Amino acid sequence: MDKTKILVVDDNFTIRKGLSIRLRANGYEVVLAEDAISATAALIAERPDLVLLDLGLPAGDGFVVMDRLHKNDRLSHIPVIVLTGRELAGNRDRALNAGAAAFFQKPVEDGTLLFAIKKALDVSRGELRFDE
Amino acid sequence: MTKPTQRIADLPAYLSHELRNALACIHQFGNILVDGLAGKLTGEQREYVSIILENASTIRSVLDTALDGAAPAASKIRTKI
Repeated sequence: MDKTKILVVDDNFTIRKGLSIRLRANGYEVVLAEDAISATAALIAERPDLVLLDLGLPAGDGFVVMDRLHKNDRLSHIPVIVLTGRELAGNRDRALNAGAAAFFQKPVEDGTLLFAIKKALDVSRGELRFDE
Repeated sequence: MTKPTQRIADLPAYLSHELRNALACIHQFGNILVDGLAGKLTGEQREYVSIILENASTIRSVLDTALDGAAPAASKIRTKI
């Protein structure tokens, strides 16, 4: 059986590396992107099962990536978890309204993030409803 | 050139982004070490990394209060799942 694939989008190399180590240690396959353009390309080429998305990105921002994802019928089912250093005001509600499954400010506890990932995957696979 | 008042207005967003990213790196790699993902640590090494992580958590609490209000950290997370 194929591993669950997560696309990590963050312009900070160290954060991409740290998330990769943590996610791979938990059995996920990880693909990486560092800006909005490479994130969009990776979405199409890699068809990940979930996206971990930073908001502050070069060449567009996380909202641009979410918009492109949700406008593409082949990608719109992919759950997005926002993980950002941006302030809450104006970003949390906007991200959730734009379709994000969850919003976290950095730094987030590993257990909390891994739980949210599992739950978002279960929901996207129809194994769990949003209100469960 | 940006006006001083605009620079002051942008300061919280700038601080939030820069400090939270730096803290996330400390947090991620400290936990990678503590959890043995980069090899087993001695008891003394674990203790020292734990001190780093505890102090990173203190800075995070200060940031949460200073930049996003005094709500507890748990309320910073909102999910639909």
